[in-house]
Amino acid sequence: MIEVKDLRKHFSSGILKKHSTKAVDGISFLMERGETLGLVGESGCGKTTIGRLLLRLLEPTSGKVIFDGIDLQQLKKAELRRLRPRMQMIFQDPDASLNPRMTIADSIAEPLKLWRKMGKSELKERVSELLEMVGLNPEHLNRYPYQLSGGQNQRVVFARVLALNPDFIVADEPTSSLDVSVQAQILNMMQELKKEFNLTVLFISHDLEVVRHISDRIAVMYRGKIVEMGNTKDVLGYGKHPYTNALVSPVVIEEDALLQGDMKPVNAFGCVFYPRCPFAAESCSKREPEMVEVEKGHWVLCDKI
Amino acid sequence: MSLLKLTHLKVHFPTQDGIVKAVNTIDLDIEENGKVGLIGETGCGKTVLGLSIMRLLQPDTRIKGENVYKGRDLLKLSEEEMRKIRGKEIAMILQNPTTSLNPVLKVGDQIAEAIRLHQGLDKRAAKEKVVEMLAAVKIPSPEKRANEYPHEFSGGMRERVMIAMALACNPTLIIADEPTTGLDITIKMQIVRLMKEVTKQRSMLFITHDLDAAAEICDNIAVMYAGELVEYAKTEAIFKNPRHPYTQGFLNSLPNRGLKPIRGMSPSLIGIPNGCRFYPRCDHAEAACKIQHPEMVELGNGHFVRCLQYDRS
Repeated sequence: MIEVKDLRKHFSSGILKKHSTKAVDGISFLMERGETLGLVGESGCGKTTIGRLLLRLLEPTSGKVIFDGIDLQQLKKAELRRLRPRMQMIFQDPDASLNPRMTIADSIAEPLKLWRKMGKSELKERVSELLEMVGLNPEHLNRYPYQLSGGQNQRVVFARVLALNPDFIVADEPTSSLDVSVQAQILNMMQELKKEFNLTVLFISHDLEVVRHISDRIAVMYRGKIVEMGNTKDVLGYGKHPYTNALVSPVVIEEDALLQGDMKPVNAFGCVFYPRCPFAAESCSKREPEMVEVEKGHWVLCDKI
Repeated sequence: MSLLKLTHLKVHFPTQDGIVKAVNTIDLDIEENGKVGLIGETGCGKTVLGLSIMRLLQPDTRIKGENVYKGRDLLKLSEEEMRKIRGKEIAMILQNPTTSLNPVLKVGDQIAEAIRLHQGLDKRAAKEKVVEMLAAVKIPSPEKRANEYPHEFSGGMRERVMIAMALACNPTLIIADEPTTGLDITIKMQIVRLMKEVTKQRSMLFITHDLDAAAEICDNIAVMYAGELVEYAKTEAIFKNPRHPYTQGFLNSLPNRGLKPIRGMSPSLIGIPNGCRFYPRCDHAEAACKIQHPEMVELGNGHFVRCLQYDRS
């Protein structure tokens, strides 16, 4: 369904554009139809950038994204626009994703008005149907986003996204601004909708427990690179990369296993995780590690494996 | 011995839409050297409770009840007397260090402010103390970092600055309002460790919705729902044997405990109905729950719960 080939995105900054931040640094992966891939990592590791690149909301520095056999980079603007209904994005903050001056009904009807030629009554019917699908009542139709809670607004966002029957959804931390009891409601709803519509989902999150619940496969990111990837139970149960293990460790971690420092920039050579790695050897700072397949479908970026 | 004792504390805000009953009849004891975790979801009144202890709410807020710290009712003190306690005796770590730090002042000067006010140190002595505090919260090269601005610090480092600021005058009680929210997991664990270390000889009210962090730090946990406490017990008891349906639901909705949601939503704090506040969302609700408001009852061993199931009076 989705094929990503050596994708890179470097942001340059400074007056002379001398500083370059490698937000996404040579990433490749495949996604099957109907699968949920969890993308985890700390803030600033490039998760969101990948999500945006996949939908071509950002232009990559190099590399390719192939969506259902179509190379997104080759498309002209109009062609890309025609493809948009099939790929959608859900953002972190539901309150900021909805137009505060539009009623819930208008918000959900907007994509339908743009893409589907529908009569008034048909439109109304479809909006009600979508609303019911995400567990809201008809009484919510004429309300405004500020009159709903964060969880309810996120449901409205889901209704909007599902309106055009998409194939692929990028969900960027859809529950991180919600309370746990509401988060559970939204995640369960998402699971059901995913099954019902056979959606392919890239689920971006920093919460491993959430990702464990919702994903078929997991990719762990650190400083623009995927450091480990595989089936959920392999990665979280039998993680090989030291960074994955630091994330997975239960609450009471041994002092040595507790990561020191934060994601500071590193020298241009060597492993990205080297400065914080408890198992780092001299050689790690000199040679860039390569992805190794340790078991079928389980890849790790570490020289020590 | 009890260090801070809240008795029937009520905090109400008059608003255009009616009175918001943010905190309703809360009784809570913080022992000397005790760490109490205050847990609840957005809008349940946790932060307001913390701010009311510090008397940092707007003047038109209606606060009733008693708030006795070391034998003195803080609610009866004059503003001047209260100022001597704030920061010196009781310090608060505010939510969200990004907005709580002044962006145009050097970090060192912000920490020095409280030190100079409360301890009467001169500029140079205060500066030394600042460096000492930054080192205590494990910020590398503290002399250099003291002269930097908040934007030069990462989220975790800013949180450390907030902690240093709270510790600066060696307070007896710390009120920490969601110090780990918004931090990445590896950084969060570092902060939790640090909080644990620096509060060894102090008391703390740890306000959070992060159960893992609370479990790591606190001896007792108070669970708050819609402005009142619904359960209070030793940390272990809350996790192993939660008795209130809300506490049970809250724990079960965590991703690592099955992700089973509580149906419905938290009620608005305006015009709260008479009966049990959790009644509309509760799976064990009976007819009586709608009418009768349950009282806190002790089940033994310091385990209190507010639910008619256990209230046999």
